[in-house]
Amino acid sequence: MRQPNHPMNQKEFLETVLPIKDKLYRLAKRLLVSSEEAEDAVQEVYLKLWKGRDRMENYSNPEAFAMTMTKNYCLDRLKSKQASNLKIVHSNYQHSDNLQHKVELNDGVQLVFKLMETLPEKQRMVMQLRDIEQFEFNEISEMLDLNETAIRVNLSRARKTVRDELLKKYNYGIS
Amino acid sequence: MELAKINQLLEAYFEGNTTLEEEARLQHYFSSEEVPAELMPYAPIFVSQVAAREERSSRAIEIPVESSKYSFRKWSMAASIAVVLGVGSLLFFQNNGLTAEQEEALAAYNQAKETMYLLSENLNKGTSKITYLDEFAEGAATINLINQFTESKSKFLK
Repeated sequence: MRQPNHPMNQKEFLETVLPIKDKLYRLAKRLLVSSEEAEDAVQEVYLKLWKGRDRMENYSNPEAFAMTMTKNYCLDRLKSKQASNLKIVHSNYQHSDNLQHKVELNDGVQLVFKLMETLPEKQRMVMQLRDIEQFEFNEISEMLDLNETAIRVNLSRARKTVRDELLKKYNYGIS
Repeated sequence: MELAKINQLLEAYFEGNTTLEEEARLQHYFSSEEVPAELMPYAPIFVSQVAAREERSSRAIEIPVESSKYSFRKWSMAASIAVVLGVGSLLFFQNNGLTAEQEEALAAYNQAKETMYLLSENLNKGTSKITYLDEFAEGAATINLINQFTESKSKFLK
């Protein structure tokens, strides 16, 4: 165990937080959509984590701590974007014309990603953390500061929205 | 997996009531097995989850060089030791570790020593010259004797 008052060195720091880099990036991208902005967000989060590394040792779960920090950073970015009336960048998803005739699995996957972008932020985060990152409800609860019931409600809404849109497109496509 | 079981899991999934393990089974089923037409609309949901997990950050993280006061102190200590050693060894190799005064004294001593040595060498040379002088004196005495001999010879010839 590390001695008290001994600050985390660079090696210890990177060993703690680098394995979760891709998870932080995926959460940032889910919220910010642009991969450039997501990379910037991850860099900023790592700088913040590095500056506050003495405090990080006190957290029982550095992963949850880093995820929370990423979430907060991205939500702040989105808020300041809306305040400055900046256009929120959407991914370069192309509406396929042949979607009306035939829904390929790959088109369906692209459609799911596109649908996720349209979800409210809370639902997007819950879906990202559960369906993609496979966190337990108590972990998501810690990361998002939401109780488990609220998480299940948001998750169910997000899943049903994606399903209903998919069924609509699919039925329209094949009929 | 039988269809009834899949439908049951799907229903629970959309209500937010499946476990991580059940969700993994659904992902596996829709990714790898032959999916009946009626369930095809659900496939993209689970296939996209597996696909999204593969996405990676492509930019390296930049962390500033360690700048905590502890390591700054450590590094500044190491730096000052290095400077002292560097300057010290420079002085040592240039001056044999002597101060300017000692250096001057040493130079004077060396000069004096050299002078004494030259002096003693000349002194020795002088001594050998004195020896020659003795021989000369001896020779001179011989010449005197010869002169006396010549004198007496001329006296005798007269």
